[in-house]
Amino acid sequence: MMKNQHDFFQGSITVQVEGPLIEPFLQACTKRGCQITDMKRIGDAVVILTIRLKDWKVLRELRKKYRCKLSIKGGKGVPFIVRHLMRRVSVLLAFVAAIVVIFLLANTLWSIKVDGLSPELKADVEGKLNSYGVSPGKLTIGMKDPNEIQQQLLDDIPDLLWIGVKKQGTSYHLYGVEKIRHDTDKNTRPSNLVASKKGMIIETFIKKGRPMVAVYDVVDKGQILATGQLVEEEDTFVHSDGEVIAETWYRVEQDLPMKQVLMLTDGTVESEYSLKVGKLTIPLWGFWKGKEGNFREETHSSNWSIFGMKIPFHIKTVDHYSIDQKSYESSKEELEDMGLSAARSGLLQELDEEAEIKEEKVLHLSEENGKVKLILLYKVYENIAVTKYISQGD
Amino acid sequence: MSKWQQHIRTWIGRYFDLPSDVMLDLPRITTIGSIHVYIENHTGLLHFSDQEVRIQYKKGQVRILGKDLGVKMMLKEELLLEGELKSVEFLPDSQGG
Repeated sequence: MMKNQHDFFQGSITVQVEGPLIEPFLQACTKRGCQITDMKRIGDAVVILTIRLKDWKVLRELRKKYRCKLSIKGGKGVPFIVRHLMRRVSVLLAFVAAIVVIFLLANTLWSIKVDGLSPELKADVEGKLNSYGVSPGKLTIGMKDPNEIQQQLLDDIPDLLWIGVKKQGTSYHLYGVEKIRHDTDKNTRPSNLVASKKGMIIETFIKKGRPMVAVYDVVDKGQILATGQLVEEEDTFVHSDGEVIAETWYRVEQDLPMKQVLMLTDGTVESEYSLKVGKLTIPLWGFWKGKEGNFREETHSSNWSIFGMKIPFHIKTVDHYSIDQKSYESSKEELEDMGLSAARSGLLQELDEEAEIKEEKVLHLSEENGKVKLILLYKVYENIAVTKYISQGD
Repeated sequence: MSKWQQHIRTWIGRYFDLPSDVMLDLPRITTIGSIHVYIENHTGLLHFSDQEVRIQYKKGQVRILGKDLGVKMMLKEELLLEGELKSVEFLPDSQGG
């Protein structure tokens, strides 16, 4: 029993011995202290036997002398079990590592979304979050509680009225409400209100300052509309503030061609692909196509990079869109409509948001040399008051 | 000389009632029924197959015949055979030592 246990702990291997001098070989082995068990002859010159693992060295030393061929058929005992377990341990380790990686990835903050705030405030919030250690790519383990972040943000950013911090999976979703500040404009520098352009006053609303003009006055550019000098020839100046709505005029001239040629793509695309290596371009596919008729060419080049480094291989795509030319002839009336709407939208873009187009008048409409000449006049009501500071420096 | 030594050994063995295998360098062969053979004090395994095992001892050979013979264990001077045992024959060297 002890012997068996010994073999079990030390390990034993089953060896196949092949050769003409098996018996002398075995005799020599036992002389050197080997313990041979479970020996069985399976062929004329082939024997299978089991030895202790530590005796393997002796067998190997002696096999040359007796010209025996040894081959291991299997092993038993603790060393083999351990080895087997080790193999499994590596699998187990890989499994554990995979779980750890998944756990880490699942607990990483991947994105922060901020809604409902102006871009400046959003940047501010993001900066603050970053300083708390809340930024994409960080582990959420050990990160502050969303409620805590919420409180901290509210404390740190005075412009925030309220902010909601919600954790959704691996992303933070923030929804903020900005404080709208009234009475922040505490500008007390003495100033006048002057006209920014020529116009006829329609309405004045001077909050501060002394009005200098009346309704239906025509003012020129730069004329003072309201002054900050409250009493004439006295040195009490205030910051004047207010709105002066005036009627202003805009003249728009347009030359519109009667005949127009439009280039229309009809949807057929022929693509040509080529590989770019450095400066060399190797055509890959489709280089025979799309060369007939009218076409518009669009070239795209892939911009591949590996680990932030640009690689010198690019795929260049040239798309040939075939083009249909179509000429349109428009009547004078159609062109007038077109000109009117174009002029109106152009003017609206130029004007303030609050400005209002009151009237639109065609002053001139004539046709010459295949073109329609259109002169339009617009009456616009807009605020023409601008602040101009009074220099008191003397 | 050796014959004289042999006589002395035999006499001492008898006189002191010592086991003869120790005194005379002879193999001690124990069989358990016909399934096990336990051979001690041999000097070498000469031939081994599943029908015949020949063992060298000081003064000759032992031939064990049987069926499905196998060596259960083999140490320097011990041998444990198992299988279906048929006979154990002694083939002493012709000179006798």
